Formats: sequence, C-alpha cells, structure tokens
Amino acid sequence: MTAPLPTSAHTIGPFFPQTFFRIGDNDLARMTADAPPTARGERILLRGRLMREGGVPCVNAILEAWQADAAGRFRHPADPEAALADPDFLGWGRAWTDADGAYEFRTLMPGGFAEGNQRRAPHIDLWVMASGLMRQLATTIYFADFAAENTADPVLALVPPERRARLVAVADGEAEGMRVFRFDLLLRGAPEAETPFFVE
Amino acid sequence: MDGAITPDRFEPWPPGIEPAVPIEGYANTFTHTPALAPIRRPATRTEVTGPTELWRKLPCGDDNLAVVGPGRMALGQLIHIAGRILDEDGRPVRGAVVELWQANAAGRYFHPNDDRDAPLDPNFVGNGRIRTDEEGRYGFFTIKPGAYPVPTPNTWWRPPHVHFSVLGPATLSRLVTQMYFPGDPLNLLDRILMSVPDAAARERLVARPIPPAEVGLGWLGYRHDIVLRGRAATPVQP
Ligand SMILES: [Fe+3]
Repeated sequence: MTAPLPTSAHTIGPFFPQTFFRIGDNDLARMTADAPPTARGERILLRGRLMREGGVPCVNAILEAWQADAAGRFRHPADPEAALADPDFLGWGRAWTDADGAYEFRTLMPGGFAEGNQRRAPHIDLWVMASGLMRQLATTIYFADFAAENTADPVLALVPPERRARLVAVADGEAEGMRVFRFDLLLRGAPEAETPFFVE
Repeated sequence: MDGAITPDRFEPWPPGIEPAVPIEGYANTFTHTPALAPIRRPATRTEVTGPTELWRKLPCGDDNLAVVGPGRMALGQLIHIAGRILDEDGRPVRGAVVELWQANAAGRYFHPNDDRDAPLDPNFVGNGRIRTDEEGRYGFFTIKPGAYPVPTPNTWWRPPHVHFSVLGPATLSRLVTQMYFPGDPLNLLDRILMSVPDAAARERLVARPIPPAEVGLGWLGYRHDIVLRGRAATPVQP
C-alpha cells in the first residue's frame, strides 16, 4: 500500500462555532468541564491578547494549550513515565478571543523534564488558529521563574537571543488566589516585536 | 488510547500540500501571517504527545446536524458525510475528536459575526462533534451547505464546503481543514482551495460521491478520508 499524504490545512475562518465553547474548556487542570481541578501543583492564570499586524486584536480566534503536569509528565504512551503522570490533570485546554483579542487559560505551573541528554524547561505549548491563518501557528510559553532552566532549554536556544523575551510570560500580579502571567502574541510585526513561531 | 496506534515519527510537510500565502483578495492572510519564517525545532515530548481522553473534555456524539428535534428538519439537500481518519501510514486513528461546522443551505452561518442578508434557518445550527471508532471512522448527517460571497472588494464566492477540526493522538497531528463537493464549478474559482499548490492535494480535499446502497435513500452520501501527520514506530536505525 502506498502511504497516504497528509491532508492540506486550511484556515479556521471567521465562523468557528461559539456553540462549541463551554466554561471549563480553557482550564487545563480539569479532566472534564465540570471536574474539580487537580490538587497537584501551583494553580496559575495565563492571560493575554492576540493581535495581528498593527496591534489590531484578532476576534474569534482560538488558542489551544498543552503542557506537562506539575512533575513534568504526560499521560500519553510516548512518555516513558506516563504511568506516574497525574491522573486528574488533562493538560489540554482551548480558549477563544473576545472583541479585544483577549484570552484566558487556567492551568498549573508545568514541570520540566529530561529530553535525551538535555532538559526541557517548564513550558506550555500554544497553538493559534484564526481567520487568515491557513495553518495553525505553534509557539511555546516559558516562565521567568526558571531562568537557569530556560538558558539550557534546547528549543529556546534555537530562537535568536533578541527574540527570546517574547516567549517568556510576564508576571502580572494575582487574581482569585493565583499568580497571573501575561503572554501577548503579535502575529505579524517588526522582527523584534513579532512572536516567534515554530515548525517541526 | 492504545499505545500501538501512537505515532512517534512526524515528517515535515511534503511539498505542494501546504497553502501558499498570502492569498490575493483575502486580506487576513496578509495581516495575520508572520513576516518571519517559523523556527524549525525538533519534535520533543510536548509535541509528540497529546490528550488521550479528550472526549471527556469535549463531549462527542453530536452527529446529526439536519434533525434538531422530532419533526424539525433543516432545509436543504440531506447528505451524509463519512470517512476515516488515518495517519501517514494509512492506519486508522482511533478516538480522534472530529468537529464539523458549516453554513446553512442558503450559505449563512449561525454565528453572530455572519451578518449577511442570506436567511437563517431556525432548524439549523450547523456544528457537530464526534469521536472516531476502532476503525478510525466518523460520520455526520447534515445538509449540503450553500455558497457564500467573501466580503471584500472584487469578491469571489466560496464554493459549498464543510469545515473540519480534527484532534488526533498528538498535538503535531492537529489539523483544521475544509471539505469540498465534487464537480462544483466554484471549486476552481475558490482562492482558498486554489492556494494549495499541488493539484492532487487539492483533489484530496474534495469528497467522493458514494453509491446510494451504502448510505440508504434518505441521504445523499459522500466519502471523505482525512490524513493526519504522524507515522508508526519505526525500526531502530542502524
Ligand atoms: Fe466557511
């Protein structure tokens, strides 16, 4: 049998159904929309704005986040320590942008993990889908709490030094008893202002 | 999820399959596409993993968009769209979450941002979500969507199409795409479909009609398979 080729990606368009969204979808720490969040790890809030060229907000875009649990494990067969992963942590969430391009995720501080003979710093992978993006954009959020780990992270090392700060979430006070981190995205702009995106 | 179906290899996109951007007449492709090239990174554990029980988070089973209640049918040609979600080795992807949304028969979306004059259908919302079975199969009962004009100067019409969002076994398998209908003359004029450079890749976005015997007389049947990125475990390299 000849191997099939992957199906082409297309834009999500301007009309991704709002009827798909449910409260809790944007909480990575809940297995279901109404399950309690896992008790392991530090609960955090991640907030930001998605903007296109000129700093104009992107409306009705969706963002999807995926991360390891507080101990740096994924409950997935590709993680050798999957059996030890937090059974009450899903690690995935979907948020959508409002008229200001603002989004919010609720999650917990991820753990780092060994990758080959290197070590990934604590991070959250983020995918952006919006009208006009003919395929989703992938980026990664890091935290200033882990300066030494960030310096050693093999993926962050691929980003030109002057662009790395764009990938580090900014501490922004507290809300509802959780630390708040801000991560704004600019899809298109001057080289030093545009969010770095990745491709595999 | 069964570990045996989890891909561990992700090839770069083959040439000609990814849309060429920006697209003339589609302003958002100019303002949203990054100016700088993406940074190539190795796929680490975060990218080759993904949520294994996503259907608990995103409830599935909503596979009939055409019937909203007893005796309440959407207007339009009743159709059935079915197919399989496969990986790049042709293996079925089990337990994938498949989301579908579309315009009504008049080409209007049930969405506050769609403010065109085309009529809304009180019996049509136009989205559904299901989970693939052990053979990677999915299926939706719906109506054939209408064409609609793109709100831009020097406009063109989008051909009838159905939007798909597929969440597979890894975040690298994530796919958002659109399905078209065979033989529609608007297909060749659609700047979004035609942005895919390779003709064979475009052809793979077009559903195939299936014989009535396979789906019954009530619904006009279409088959549409979707291939996600990702390959099986490979032999150890020397
Ligand atoms: Fe559409």
